[in-house]
Amino acid sequence: MTPADLPAVATDVSLITLFWQAHLVVKTVMLGLLACSVWVWAIAIDKIFLYGRTKRAMDRFEQAFWSGESIEDLYRALSSKPTQSMAALFVAAMREWKRSFESQTRSVAGLQMRIEKVMSVSISREVERLERRLLVLATVGSAGPFVGLFGTVWGIMSSFQSIAASKNTSLAVVAPGIAEALFATAIGLIAAIPATIFYNKFNSEVNRQAQRLEGFADEFSAILSRQIDERA
Amino acid sequence: MNLSNVWSRIKQIDRSMFASIFLHVVIIGWGLVTFVTRPLEASPVESMPVDIISADQLSKITAGIKTGQKENPKPLVEKIADAQPIDEAVGKVADKKPPVQTAASEPEPPKPVEKPVEKKPDPPKQVAEEKPKDEPKPIEKKEPPPKVDPIAEALKKDESKKPPPKPQAKAAPPPPPKPKQEYQFDQSKIAALLDKRDPTRQAATGGQLNSSASLGSARGTAATLSQSELDALRARLTKLWNLQAGTERPEELVVDIRIRLTPEKRLAGPPEIVSRGTSPRYQAAADAALRAVLQGQPFDMLQPATYEQWKDMIVTFDPRQMFRGST
Repeated sequence: MTPADLPAVATDVSLITLFWQAHLVVKTVMLGLLACSVWVWAIAIDKIFLYGRTKRAMDRFEQAFWSGESIEDLYRALSSKPTQSMAALFVAAMREWKRSFESQTRSVAGLQMRIEKVMSVSISREVERLERRLLVLATVGSAGPFVGLFGTVWGIMSSFQSIAASKNTSLAVVAPGIAEALFATAIGLIAAIPATIFYNKFNSEVNRQAQRLEGFADEFSAILSRQIDERA
Repeated sequence: MNLSNVWSRIKQIDRSMFASIFLHVVIIGWGLVTFVTRPLEASPVESMPVDIISADQLSKITAGIKTGQKENPKPLVEKIADAQPIDEAVGKVADKKPPVQTAASEPEPPKPVEKPVEKKPDPPKQVAEEKPKDEPKPIEKKEPPPKVDPIAEALKKDESKKPPPKPQAKAAPPPPPKPKQEYQFDQSKIAALLDKRDPTRQAATGGQLNSSASLGSARGTAATLSQSELDALRARLTKLWNLQAGTERPEELVVDIRIRLTPEKRLAGPPEIVSRGTSPRYQAAADAALRAVLQGQPFDMLQPATYEQWKDMIVTFDPRQMFRGST
């Protein structure tokens, strides 16, 4: 009997074996967290492009709006097709303006208030569109680690049970259970960390764009208000 | 939220979803590749709190000399002196010089012998022994002169025979184990000399006087391994003894293992299980102890000077000690 004859314990810790050796509950947790991660990244990619598009659209519109072009022409060009963000705001306000002046009974008295209402409604609609599914990121970011921790606790419980069953504390008995258990927490963190980062980034982005929309709404309502007073 | 609703919401961002899935597949595939190439190698060594021997067992083992070699009478020991190289040096000096010098000159022989003896015992314990040594020397000095006076050839032969045991008697007391063979020549004289030195002293065998804990040896004499050597050996074997945890009735799993070592601090032969157990788990515990001994070599903590003590040991593995802590 020499030391060479002693059994050397080699534990396979590839990702697949870690997953397949896990308890059913831990497997479920892992799969759920993986789905969460996929979903989070899908939302994140979607939002990055959405915010990029929105920002470019706003820049284009502001450039067109302040270029000295006639507001009527701009309205005619934009109202023919579905619009978003700042253009939608502009179209909604202009539509209310035109309705008030082009109808038989000129209802100028409450026009200022109506325009502001219409613009605030479209601002909130735009913000809602920008904010959609951001709560998913927040939820995954805050709950992901806990879900992963649940999988870890469960996995460690089952590995302790295997210790009790085999009455052996050798690394071969303990290591796989603990490794797969910790793997659950790792997946939870992998899902949660990008979710939290993206949520914070997108939240500030939405706030900035909403701020910009409100600024434009105030400016445009001031312009329309001057027009109303001049025409009345 | 039903499934179709979820599906419609997923379809809204289908391009992003595909991109996300692609990203995950790439990352997981990369993880599969990199993780597979680096499997965790877990060595079978497991550290467990184990203590090797208790004081009770020590006394039992050292008392269990009955089975040891009985030919050698136990030496009378004054103190536990364990400096072996010193013993050898003194023995050589005593062997060589007396025959030459007793023939030539009378008073000189004792002096050269005295100096090495007095210089070498470094440990403070032996200060007490210096007095005893002084006393026998005058005796020697007195004896040679009368014998030289006759200058008969027959007497010269007698002289040459007599002096050797006397210097050896001086040298013998400090070292317990070595001088045994030499004691056999003039046991009565040595006993007399010892009595003269310290009348109130109690004679005792080495094994019973030894105050330091030892692993016990099959030779019957006390093992005077130093405490640090012993602790180091104990710690090494303790660390390597991979016993199943949570065993009930640990007293069934006390394993005695006989270890024979070479001077190179490696096993001279396969370790033997000396004790017997009835428990079904006993064999596993004994195998674990054997493995611990095999893996523990070389036992670098042992000093070459005390090879006599550790060349043949019985080590007791006691699971009770590992829960209580070391004694």
